[in-house]
Amino acid sequence: MDISQIVDRISQKIEAKGHAADKSKIEQKLRRLIEEFGVQPADAERTVLYDIARDFGIQLGNAAGPGDQKLINSVSTEEWVTIEGKIVALGHSPSPSIAYSGIIADASGAIRFVIWSKASVPVIKKDAWYRFESAVVDEFKGALNLKVHSGTTVKELEIDGVLIPVITPLAELTAGVASVRVKMIQEWDVTHDRMLQSGLLGDETGTVKFVTWKDEGMVRLEPGMVYTIYYALVDEFNGRHSLNLNTANILAEEGDIAVSSGASTFQGALVHIAPGSGLIKRCTVEGCNRVLSRQNYCPVHEMQPKFNYDLRIKGWLDDGTHTIDTLMQREVVESLTGMTLEESRELAENNPLGMDEVFLRMREKILGRYLRCEGREIDRRLIVNSCERIHFEPTMLAELLNRTGGEVS
Amino acid sequence: MSTPANGGFPKRENMFEREPARRVFAGELREIREQFRDGTDEKSPSYVLLPTGQRCNRVFLVGSMTEKKRQGEQNMFYRGRIADPTGTFFVAAGSYQPEAMQQMARIEPPAFVAVVGKPSIYETPDGTILVSVRAESVTVVDREVRDCWVLETAKATLDRLDTPSSGPDSVRATEKYHLDPVAYRKMVYHALSQLKF
Repeated sequence: MDISQIVDRISQKIEAKGHAADKSKIEQKLRRLIEEFGVQPADAERTVLYDIARDFGIQLGNAAGPGDQKLINSVSTEEWVTIEGKIVALGHSPSPSIAYSGIIADASGAIRFVIWSKASVPVIKKDAWYRFESAVVDEFKGALNLKVHSGTTVKELEIDGVLIPVITPLAELTAGVASVRVKMIQEWDVTHDRMLQSGLLGDETGTVKFVTWKDEGMVRLEPGMVYTIYYALVDEFNGRHSLNLNTANILAEEGDIAVSSGASTFQGALVHIAPGSGLIKRCTVEGCNRVLSRQNYCPVHEMQPKFNYDLRIKGWLDDGTHTIDTLMQREVVESLTGMTLEESRELAENNPLGMDEVFLRMREKILGRYLRCEGREIDRRLIVNSCERIHFEPTMLAELLNRTGGEVS
Repeated sequence: MSTPANGGFPKRENMFEREPARRVFAGELREIREQFRDGTDEKSPSYVLLPTGQRCNRVFLVGSMTEKKRQGEQNMFYRGRIADPTGTFFVAAGSYQPEAMQQMARIEPPAFVAVVGKPSIYETPDGTILVSVRAESVTVVDREVRDCWVLETAKATLDRLDTPSSGPDSVRATEKYHLDPVAYRKMVYHALSQLKF
């Protein structure tokens, strides 16, 4: 944050009260706090503003105080704001220094909030409307957060309005809070004791991972069902979003959604086939299905004398500008290479090179070839549903010849 | 620096990103004179600068292998000449490229081959500059793949000529090379005119 911007903001507020603001003095105070004492800019701004206001005997913190009244979707980080909204979720306080945490929403959107114990606030109830005056917006992991501190005035409002949440298409999710209308498409194994459920949700525009942590009143979603999920937390990690449903109101719905297959189509040359492609052995322990190493060793279940054969190809598809990791499963591999699982197994069992022979033959058949792959992109890898070879297109030749401008350009 | 935004696939910070294999005609590749590393780390990727203004760490090329030679005793490696409609690529595969070396051992020229590899510049003791591609893989393909490659490479070359980026690579290429766009368009035309409708 540029200090001069803060100086401008403070001096405007002072001048709005009919007093002359000494910018250099404001800047000096700010610098001292921020640079010498490592105070966060938002805190420093507040301290300096209140300091000066006290000097002039100005009353801040009333309706004309710092922070314009804003709609929730228009606030930005390190801003002082006043908002009015409905408490749509109220969580357990994770620490004694926090009195409440939850989500407040208005017609434009919703935002997480934290009320510090030091702030003097009335009892906060879910589904009631409140006015947060002079709260501070900050950003954590890409998501905006409203901080209610000792300088914030919180008032309960006599509103009994029905709030219609804005439904966000999955493709347009950003970190923060969102309401979505989705179909539950996959249930995944839970990876943690405290996890109730995790899986994949989809709508017409895309898919998103979700997680629900074990807690009172939390429900599991049924695969294949459609839900409207109000006010879920949207987390962002490595550019991918995931929904945390613990704060959400979940409403099962009738009907169906034509979930986008996440349909990505990518075409290019297959420039690399990774080890572990071709004929593979999978662990037979129920629910495992992991690939066994050469010595029939499962990373979880150790030595496995029994196994199932499978075919897959892991490779990089490259169009000269981008290159993406692709994973082709058995059906795709069979149709692309013309080698069935049964033939591959026989080949491996009757050949001195064993499974390597299958890898080598497949490589000779498809490496360096132009392919068009259609599938779903998960975790930056294209899970290929169908794949075809690209053929020479005379129309493209004509087009390019024209583009060169001909022989005598 | 100017890795293009990953079309449709969100780019993640600090994640390994595989270098795309550029499509370059032999006629352009042999004019490369600039080679640099992005960063000072031993493992920083090394690039050559294409005369059309793009950095290039890897190439994908398809042509006819006209000649193959085994060289060296202890450090045995294969060298191959691969022709496209605009000139010749020199491709090498040594013991650090076992996949490509084993593939080359089995290829009987002449044959259409698809090569993925890393280009670099060498200077011979007499001062001649050679551009060679260290192959990661060399696979025998058919004529149709070659024809598709010529189309695709023609398009990529025209794209680089027609929409020069204003990035630092482009500026650097303008300083280092005396690119004649007309000659390049002729080269592309010539390559395309060898294909049949």
